[in-house]
Amino acid sequence: MARRGRAGAALSISAVGSFFAGTVGTIIIVIFAEPLTQMAQKFGPADYCSLMALGLVAAVVLASGSITKAISMVFLGLLFGLIGTDVNTGAQRFTFDIPELSDGIDFAPIAMGLFGIAEIVVNLERHLERGGAIKVGSLWPTREEIRRSIPAILRGTFLGSMLGVLPGGGPTLGAFSAYTLEKKLSKNPGEFGKGAVEGVASPEAANNAAAQTSFIPMLTLGIPSNAVMALMVGAMIIQGIQPGPEVMTKKPDLFWGMIVSMWIGNAMLVIINLPMIGMWVKLLTVPYRYLAPAILLFCCIGAYSLQNSTFHVMQVAIFGVLGYVFVKLGCEGAPFLLGLVLGPQMEEYFRRAMLLSRGDAMVFIERPISLGLLITTALLLVLMALPSIKKAREEAFQEEG
Amino acid sequence: MNRFVTKDFLSGLMFVAFGLAALYFGQHLAVGTPVRMGPGYVPRMLSLILLALGAVVCIVALVSGSEPVERPKWKPITLVTLGIVCFGLLFERAGLIPALVVLVMISSLAGEEFKLTEVIGNIVVLSILCTIVFKVGLGMNIAIVQGIW
Repeated sequence: MARRGRAGAALSISAVGSFFAGTVGTIIIVIFAEPLTQMAQKFGPADYCSLMALGLVAAVVLASGSITKAISMVFLGLLFGLIGTDVNTGAQRFTFDIPELSDGIDFAPIAMGLFGIAEIVVNLERHLERGGAIKVGSLWPTREEIRRSIPAILRGTFLGSMLGVLPGGGPTLGAFSAYTLEKKLSKNPGEFGKGAVEGVASPEAANNAAAQTSFIPMLTLGIPSNAVMALMVGAMIIQGIQPGPEVMTKKPDLFWGMIVSMWIGNAMLVIINLPMIGMWVKLLTVPYRYLAPAILLFCCIGAYSLQNSTFHVMQVAIFGVLGYVFVKLGCEGAPFLLGLVLGPQMEEYFRRAMLLSRGDAMVFIERPISLGLLITTALLLVLMALPSIKKAREEAFQEEG
Repeated sequence: MNRFVTKDFLSGLMFVAFGLAALYFGQHLAVGTPVRMGPGYVPRMLSLILLALGAVVCIVALVSGSEPVERPKWKPITLVTLGIVCFGLLFERAGLIPALVVLVMISSLAGEEFKLTEVIGNIVVLSILCTIVFKVGLGMNIAIVQGIW
């Protein structure tokens, strides 16, 4: 739509659609959080362990490229998550006598290195130059555009909310499914990519609805369903909050405060963004050679400020190099990150479960919840290996790239 | 030669290498029994799985082939890493501004275009911004220039 001079209308439709979807998503969280939390309290250690396995496998669905590689990345992440002091015995593991590592490896510098630094380096290599000025045009959509976008927004919201709750789902999956759905429903699919308003409204709504509902597994079960939620878990742990069912029962003010803040955030998005669209568009034209050093600088200062230690800055550098290697080898960072976040918890639950069952691994199959989760996990793995699904998955990633 | 310099084969090798390293550095950790697991039980298990997966990735890559690795450019990654390391070394010893100047200088060199006036402008803007935001605004306990402010 930008090329037809309707970028302004597209942006305002997507902002309003996002706001609507965000509101619906928030309401869904409010409705489902309580029963899910109660369910989560029935979970034993074995069930948790299986649930995490399901979450990790689901994360693999989202990674592009080879499934074996993505699973290996999960295990690599789990292994990195073990660095630090063993909770049960106090033994130092893989710390190489570096005192800073005994608390476990910090999450934020790794994310900065893997995603931030590696991304910058790759962009510098490609000599990224941004396109020239974009004409924003009028912000007001025409009546025709409004008429066409309302059902699209509703469909997108519904689809996004559903996909967001699934482990491994999330905003990107929601947006792409919504786009495909609109394209299939449309009478003239040829318009897509050339300014069809449904193509903007529905994915934007789905994106936001999914972004909200993907909080559900994290808030109620403590399991992040995608890389963004993994970052949220990391952020909460830094603040001393262990995500999980206890958050809602023990700190209801925090829990509901967070939900209200999500809704306020959605409202602010509309209020702030609409008048300032012109400015954001200008910001996009800042050349990369100014931006790259600035991003690096903020990453470094941010890493330092975590614990006032330059050790974290060095960690950013190390994981920047590792992230670059991952990119070059076509390994996805997201499964690694999820493994890293879930690693320590998973080990704890695993050991507790085995201790309770006196070393009998059958406990994972004997408990009905755990068994159900494990069967789902196995099904997911088998499904992904099926040729037809494999092909569809590859196509989905083709469109994205 | 080309058969081996592929994305999948090399990533398989990387997984194997990480698995071996974890086994080596974790060998002093007690494994224990399934009932009373020692600190080494889970690491050992994970490294062995990673080793096996890495081997599978390697074999699949050799049998069915995979994309070749793009030639890495050494300049950006080396300079960016160097910039961050210098920042880390200078930050506490010399203060924010010297570390900032060095980081921005080095990382600007990593790009294709380098115009000294632009970089100096960037440094000035970022210095003012960071001082206002981090020192004055957030009141972080950092030195702008060590020993002076």
